[in-house]
Amino acid sequence: MGQARILIVDDDPDITEAMKVVLETEGYTVYTAKDKEDGMEQLKTTKLDLIILDVIMNGGRDGFVLSRELKQDAKYKHIPILMVTAVREKTGIDFKSAAGDETWLPLEDFLDKPVKPEVLLKKVKGLLYEL
Amino acid sequence: METLLQDTNLVKRAYWLVRLRWAAISVLAIAVFVSSEVLRISLPVMKLYAMACVLVLYNFLLFLFLRHFTFGGKSPSHTAIRRIITFQVSADLFVLTVILHYSGGIENPFFLYFVFHMIIASIFLSTRQSYLQATLAIFFFGFVVFLEYLGFIRHYALEGFISNNLYRNGLFVLGTFLVFSTTLYLVVYMTASISRQLSKQQQWYEEANMQLREKDYLKNEYVLRLTHDIKGHLAAIQSCINIVDTQMVGPLNEKQTDLVERAYRRAGKCMAFITALLKLTRMKMTGELEMTGFSLKKVIFNTLAAVQNRAERKGITIDYNIEAGIDEVYGEPVLIEETITNLLFNAARYTPHNGTIKISVKNQKGSILFEISDTGIGIPQGDIEKIFDEFYRSRNAREIERDGTGLGLSIAKQVIERHRGQIWAKNNPTGGCTFGFSLPKKC
Repeated sequence: MGQARILIVDDDPDITEAMKVVLETEGYTVYTAKDKEDGMEQLKTTKLDLIILDVIMNGGRDGFVLSRELKQDAKYKHIPILMVTAVREKTGIDFKSAAGDETWLPLEDFLDKPVKPEVLLKKVKGLLYEL
Repeated sequence: METLLQDTNLVKRAYWLVRLRWAAISVLAIAVFVSSEVLRISLPVMKLYAMACVLVLYNFLLFLFLRHFTFGGKSPSHTAIRRIITFQVSADLFVLTVILHYSGGIENPFFLYFVFHMIIASIFLSTRQSYLQATLAIFFFGFVVFLEYLGFIRHYALEGFISNNLYRNGLFVLGTFLVFSTTLYLVVYMTASISRQLSKQQQWYEEANMQLREKDYLKNEYVLRLTHDIKGHLAAIQSCINIVDTQMVGPLNEKQTDLVERAYRRAGKCMAFITALLKLTRMKMTGELEMTGFSLKKVIFNTLAAVQNRAERKGITIDYNIEAGIDEVYGEPVLIEETITNLLFNAARYTPHNGTIKISVKNQKGSILFEISDTGIGIPQGDIEKIFDEFYRSRNAREIERDGTGLGLSIAKQVIERHRGQIWAKNNPTGGCTFGFSLPKKC
């Protein structure tokens, strides 16, 4: 059972809720934010262990922007980021090879939508060194 | 003034004129030989052969000049190429006049050949330039026949062909000259107006084609946005149902589990359909493929491994025969693997228990020929042309699998055509069907 605190930043309330439910069953404390600004606010007030971030928020690329901002900030750059995406068909981006390219897309891992509970938990545990 | 070839390759035509002139030179040499040696018509043979030699030299120089202008794929301006064609036509008119002078002048029916030059000018040059060429032809021809008539220059009589001295018959000379002049002007008028009409039509077709392509692009972009939005909703639905199904949020009874699983499966099928549609649309919209050399054998073995379970469950035997020496091909390996997997899964899906699937890969004149034949349900007559169409599914395939996307073969076709190959399907005489595609060894 994890005790870690996780922030989900996604503009889709249903996906957010689904992930929250899954993570809470494992005992994680889950915070949610619906956009980049909301996410930054939560970061300032809460000490977090992991961020789950949607790539495209509100039709823009806020996920990319936020991940870069966080990784350039000494206060937050140690927090692992798990990027959630359903856009691979649209952008043609190979997230597998892009994950870890620190200048372009600084994040630790990525996850495809629809989110499968067991895959989500495995990735989260991996990033929190619980496996 | 518009000309027919305003927007097409005038350079090719300039070369065509050079090739045409080689033929004309041969005709001249043969005509001189036959007239003098067979028909025994008196001709200044040496002068005419000399003319043929001059023509050979002139044509060869013209060829070199064109080569210089277009070397290494250079495309000179239309004005420059038009000037070259104008020069060629004018020079040809002069040469034809000189040949006519040495071979009977007005008494030689070959003067009708001026008409060809008028047709060529009217098609390739502007209308104004074509009338100028007609005037030049009339001037050259008139100059020779009238000077011969007046006795200022020598007349080379075609003895053995015409007995009377027609070139001295004023009425004949004047009448022929007038008919000749009007003929040339009329030919230019008619050809130029037909050319203009065709040119307008060509422009219209080009514009219509552009508009169609724009509309197709807009349609694809619309589909892309729409499917992406639907995919977002579906992903949320699947994510939620999946949690309920895994009983993370509480136990379900048997009936509840069954219904949730049904909903999850249908959402999954809908997702597969949307994903395929997105893929097809994106492929249609994007540019060139990223080609590399890759091992076709390895790709085939990967696909065999992917389909093995399904084939084993149905007791289907898969044989393969890859011709020796075939390995590396050129293309986009992921797309080719998907295409082969797609064809292989189709074969396994529509082949009854204990059937056979045969894969054959052969070399064929610069291409690799891939064929996969099965002992399955075959393709109903009349459906063979349609099965590669988007969303089309044949009746017997629908009976076996109700919820196919109808996009798999369209994607396969798109992939193979993007590799400049061909894809086809046919029924086997002994039952079942064969799908095949060709892949150029070097794209």
